[in-house]
Amino acid sequence: MSQSELKDRVTVITGGGTGLGKAMALALAKAGSDIVVAARRTGPIEQTAREVTDLGRKALAVSTDVTDSRQVNHLIETTLSEMGKLDILINNAGIVRGQGRKPIWEITDDEWHLGINTNLTGAFFCCRAVSQYFIERKSGKVINVASGEGLRGVRGNYMYCCAKGGVIQLTRTLAITWAQDNIKVNCIVPGFVDVRELQPEARPQMSPEVAATIQARGAFIPVGHFGCAADIAYLALFLASDASDYITGGIFAADGGGLAGGTTTTGHAPTIPIKEE
Amino acid sequence: MVSEEFSLNGKTALVAGDSRFWSKHVADALAEAGADVAIAASSSQRLKEATAEAERLGRKAVTIPTDMTDPSQVNNMVEQAVADLGKIDILVNAADLEFARPFLEITQDEWQQVMDANLNSIFYSCQVAGKHMLSAKKGRIVNIISCLAERGLSHGSAYCVSMGGVLQLTRALALEWAREGITVNAIGTGWFAETDRTGALDEDRLLRYLPLKRYGHPSEIGSMVVYLASDTTDFVTGQFFYADGGLMAHA
Repeated sequence: MSQSELKDRVTVITGGGTGLGKAMALALAKAGSDIVVAARRTGPIEQTAREVTDLGRKALAVSTDVTDSRQVNHLIETTLSEMGKLDILINNAGIVRGQGRKPIWEITDDEWHLGINTNLTGAFFCCRAVSQYFIERKSGKVINVASGEGLRGVRGNYMYCCAKGGVIQLTRTLAITWAQDNIKVNCIVPGFVDVRELQPEARPQMSPEVAATIQARGAFIPVGHFGCAADIAYLALFLASDASDYITGGIFAADGGGLAGGTTTTGHAPTIPIKEE
Repeated sequence: MVSEEFSLNGKTALVAGDSRFWSKHVADALAEAGADVAIAASSSQRLKEATAEAERLGRKAVTIPTDMTDPSQVNNMVEQAVADLGKIDILVNAADLEFARPFLEITQDEWQQVMDANLNSIFYSCQVAGKHMLSAKKGRIVNIISCLAERGLSHGSAYCVSMGGVLQLTRALALEWAREGITVNAIGTGWFAETDRTGALDEDRLLRYLPLKRYGHPSEIGSMVVYLASDTTDFVTGQFFYADGGLMAHA
């Protein structure tokens, strides 16, 4: 792990205004990287950019809808013109909205396209936008963010499972296609993570109801509790750094053991009865 | 320099098995990150050299000659490591016996030898070291195995079975000890060499089978061991991570 620092690197992270994306942005900034934060809403990305600047790194917030390839191309062009280069791309933007228990015949064309476009097509657009630049300079790191639901089926979650499964195959295809150009492409599979807490000890005050829900659902995870955003951020740091230079096409789960067993994405037979919602 | 997030200061690691001379590089990476190390393997000149870098870095470093296929010697190995280093926070299993033969020609003895070296040795070391980790309510186990744990290979039946066995041990043990503060993960290795052997391979084979077009250096396994051994991986368990230059992403 001798090269886990990211001094003088430039990272673009989509969905970087909140949650996991913000945690990854701050972890990489702490390790020395300058950060370009992209998401649709300007408020959160400007806040992330301010916190990056507070860590002594350069930061840029670029309002971007990843489902629109013109905006994605603009994001990469702006990064290159403002920051001078780009080393690391983290495709984190995604939505879980528009799924749930709805029967398949009630899913509209728009809902399907929104789910696929945000979670899969957005990552494809970003990779396409950096491709020629990365290939020309013969280096680059791409980190995609998928889900255990991209590896196992979940009842009723059509768009999310399909899109995240697509992200995993996009990772592998890009990895073997770009390997000879020294571009590393890997994928993070977060388990159930309470994204509000960056560190377990910094857990903000939450209502007793929310705390009870998180504790009850944590029983379904082999380690017995939710992860925190830092669990994912440190994995991103490892994959962004030179320490992982021989690693490409890998699917890296940080999920409290869920995918190691069982037949669900939580992979655990808890000792409490399963209740239908 | 190792980022503070991945620091192993104050931790101790036992690297068990050194069939491919990788243990030195794994131990070097652990020592660089701040850990004291013990390396256990069959006695050899290489084993004596293996702790030089760790000592130069100012870490405590010991060697424990061990036949990993002998349960009583594995038991002594763990007790010796605990006696010398005070505790075992990290167990790295790096045993590996390469073996290839047409299936019908494999003798029962050969089959047994492959299982003893690659699978049973890890059963022994996890059991003995695991007791210490369970009482400490904290531990990291990293099994370095081959990507052939998940892929078949002609003439590789015994080897593939042994590696697949360690992978399933990794997953099952991860679940069994998930709430005891112990994580169990495996690293799937591809083509590694201490020296650059790229020129020895014809370009077509490299292009076809090895996307990154170069062998990995054992130190590149070491960096992943450090990640998995660090305090950043409390939520990472039962996983099989490849360090393979893209080999397993390939069709």
